[in-house]
Amino acid sequence: MFEAHPHADRRLVVMLLASLLAASTFVLLPRTLLAQTETADMATADDEFSRQLRDLKKSFGEVARQIEDGAQIIDRTQDPEQGRKSIQELRNHVGRLLGAVADNGEVSKLGAKALSRADEKLRTLEQETRFKPDEKQFLIDKWRELRASTEAANRELDRARRDFAELLRTLQTNEDYIDELLQIREHEKALVVIHQLTDGIRDASTKLQKLLGAIKPPGA
Amino acid sequence: MARRITCAAALLALTGCMPESGSGYVEIKLNPAGARPPVLYLDGDKLAAPKGGVAVLRQPVGTAKLQVEADGAKVLLCSVAVKQNRITTVTVSALDRPPRCQCARIGGSEGNRVCIG
Repeated sequence: MFEAHPHADRRLVVMLLASLLAASTFVLLPRTLLAQTETADMATADDEFSRQLRDLKKSFGEVARQIEDGAQIIDRTQDPEQGRKSIQELRNHVGRLLGAVADNGEVSKLGAKALSRADEKLRTLEQETRFKPDEKQFLIDKWRELRASTEAANRELDRARRDFAELLRTLQTNEDYIDELLQIREHEKALVVIHQLTDGIRDASTKLQKLLGAIKPPGA
Repeated sequence: MARRITCAAALLALTGCMPESGSGYVEIKLNPAGARPPVLYLDGDKLAAPKGGVAVLRQPVGTAKLQVEADGAKVLLCSVAVKQNRITTVTVSALDRPPRCQCARIGGSEGNRVCIG
């Protein structure tokens, strides 16, 4: 009833081998994919935040130089109108810095998202049963490091926000006072106020430089 | 002149990653800082709980409305004047029911008070 068919036998062997190969790939692939997915998740969660922080550091460096230049002009000026305009320019620079680190700014939102992503990963990894214990522990340790560095970067952003807000307030309050003094032609007094600002501006510039060093993009 | 051109060029380079002009800042302080924060909205946007009792938000120039959620509805706390590259601070007294808004300076006309910075 059944006849021997060499071609059919060969085809059957090939099919069996193919099935075995497919089966082993099916078993092995998820592990590889998972490892890649874990890496991709880590990269996606923090890449954008780290990139934005790096861009921010570059911008801060540029603005720190502009603030220092502004402080020198203010220190040397004998013209209260020019001094007032320099303060206004400084206020514009500081305003832009503050915008970059405002609570509803892109960098802050990314930082919060990266942190909550790390928390979520740690929660799910604790309950993970797919990996060997040492593999699981490796992932957990790496996510803990990432979480700690993300938290540190967020803290520096919070500090920057406070410092820039304070500087902006100082500049605008003094500018308003100088305006009032100029209205009543108290030019000498206005100049005194302008020159007194220089120390405060230089302090801010120093803080900004320290901040540049302190901000470390996660994973750096 | 060269300095102006350099500054303008630097600023143009910065605008790639810096916010656009036409914005000011609203600083919201909770009093006391550690109080359970009320749910706040600024121009309709729900705010995250202020970290350390303070939030600094970039807003378009104009008048921003600070609202609080009360019994499922949004209640106006105060209006805040937002001027370009200036910061306006409002303090929300979190222990009052409903919460109250305190401004360092008030402008506007009777019946249309606005916090100014």
